Amino acid sequence: MRPILLSGHERALTQVKFSKEGDLIFSVSKDHIVCAWYSANGERFGAYKGHQGALWTVDVDPTTTLLATGGADNTMRLWEVRTGKLLKTWDYATSVKRVEFSEDGRQLLAVTEKRTGQLSTVYIYDISPDPSEPAPSEHALRIVVDEQPRVTVAGFSYLNHFIIMGHEDGSVSQWDAKSGEHIKDNYSHEDGMQVSDLQWSADRTYFLTASKDKTAKLHDTATLEVLKTYTADTPLNSAAICPDPQQYVILGGGQAAMDVTTTSQRQGKFEARFYHKVFEEEIGRVRGHFGPLNSVAVDPTGKCYCSGGEDGYVRVHHFDPPYFDFQFEVEREARAESRI
Amino acid sequence: MATTVQNTPGRTDWAEDGEPELASVLPQPVTTKNKDGTETVVSYYLNEAGKKVKRTQRIRRTVVKKRENPRVAERRQWAKMGPEANKPAGPGDTTTLGENIIFRPQVGFKAGGVQEKAPEEEKKNDALKKMQIKCRICSGDHFTTKCPFKDSMAAPEEGTGEGAGGEGGGDGIDAAGGLGSTTGAYVPIHLRNGRKGEGERMGGKFERDDLATLRVTNVSELAEEQDLRDMFERHGRVTRVFLAKDRETGRAKGFAFVSYADRADAARACERMDGYGFGHLILRVEFAKKADGK
Repeated sequence: MRPILLSGHERALTQVKFSKEGDLIFSVSKDHIVCAWYSANGERFGAYKGHQGALWTVDVDPTTTLLATGGADNTMRLWEVRTGKLLKTWDYATSVKRVEFSEDGRQLLAVTEKRTGQLSTVYIYDISPDPSEPAPSEHALRIVVDEQPRVTVAGFSYLNHFIIMGHEDGSVSQWDAKSGEHIKDNYSHEDGMQVSDLQWSADRTYFLTASKDKTAKLHDTATLEVLKTYTADTPLNSAAICPDPQQYVILGGGQAAMDVTTTSQRQGKFEARFYHKVFEEEIGRVRGHFGPLNSVAVDPTGKCYCSGGEDGYVRVHHFDPPYFDFQFEVEREARAESRI
Repeated sequence: MATTVQNTPGRTDWAEDGEPELASVLPQPVTTKNKDGTETVVSYYLNEAGKKVKRTQRIRRTVVKKRENPRVAERRQWAKMGPEANKPAGPGDTTTLGENIIFRPQVGFKAGGVQEKAPEEEKKNDALKKMQIKCRICSGDHFTTKCPFKDSMAAPEEGTGEGAGGEGGGDGIDAAGGLGSTTGAYVPIHLRNGRKGEGERMGGKFERDDLATLRVTNVSELAEEQDLRDMFERHGRVTRVFLAKDRETGRAKGFAFVSYADRADAARACERMDGYGFGHLILRVEFAKKADGK
């Protein structure tokens, strides 16, 4: 496969995201710009300008009409995807580390950072999918995370039942999305190793967390039980689940940015790693970035994946036949049996 | 589509749309369907110099069906915005194509594995081939451990060592004295007193490592061991050639065994020598199997 290199950013990428149909890629970086790209040919559709600081996070609603971004200028902004019009700006006391739309696109959450005098807070807004309707200034729910450590990532579960958060100490927690009550915790990752990413399966019944403890773990949404563990040899920044029928997960990471200059490209381990989702076994790697992978995302239709690196590039890879054909011996046998 | 054009009177070819008065003097284009599914279109037109030109085109029509989500199709038509506004369609200077990456998922993937390990192993093999190897038993060019006469002829040094050690080590506990070793490391009982690694084997000298042994059948009666050795040595180091001979007549029975030092060589030889013409017969070469089915 020939990767398409998207070089619209001047600084490190922080998150990349596909639209639901996989045709558009949204990327945010520390250079204050949000870019939108066609995944098929790498053409840049446009850019959303207005943020005054580094951007940490981006998400697009399921209909690809609204785009939410959050960054170090202490704002979350809502954009109209098609025109690039800024619809709404929410101001906070600290920077916005994570934004995410719910499954139906009618709710939006923002995670604000814990900093002197401010606690980690998760704000939830009711959003209308129609861009002509004004977005509410008042949050529908606010969860102030006091007893748990700082929140790094968060997301809505299936049917908006729960809000799942990943914390700085490597734990994940579950909260009621209606009342905001804390339900349970699971200290699944090594203590003190932050959860760096949280991505959902297609039906949101399980999710994948990536952590600095060099592992990615598949959790059950309802019980927070760890279903699978994928062990890498480098701190992980991001992990994504490939859609069915391919049973893979993609992990991205690498030597921390501050240590990069002291190591060669080989040692930096700047590769996207593919693991089998069920057997937890590494099946391949894709090289290319000159810095750690800060974010990986998979096309929800399964045709391609992209990775955003510390080197300022987004690399889009359209999968070749070996990706679709590969099976473990037991899988092949099971298929043959079911055919009989 | 071509036929509809032909049926429309007065309209002959899109190329002549601008000059209808000239088109009338030109013959109508003729479309014929070929057996292989292509169409041949013969048409006439006037070039810039006013000369009549006959043009023959062979056309194959293929229908490519592509399904696309209507939402995606709609988004493809969106006008670009922001810094990309008013720029032509297609990837601009922010997009480049990287070099091709081969991604082939595999079971038991090892980081930096396949590409780097193979040459290393090859180097080792090469070094082995260049090395001067002399067997301590039969002075052949193979390792002593691989000697075909290992079981029938004992190594000279080993014979003396066994004699000396055998007297000293009456009981098995006196390991160090028994072996005469200086390291003081633990030596398993079955290795003491200069004994070889394996215990007693049932097959005696007839049991061999069959992994790198080929069975050659349909060998000429007049064949000699040396002939076979010469032939098979081309594909790697041959450690043993056994040609079955009739005890009374001294003629070959028609089958032989050839052992290689390296299984890879054996596999290659098996592939190349199978079907090789030797004498007036065609050899059949396959890997020797264990006789019994245990």
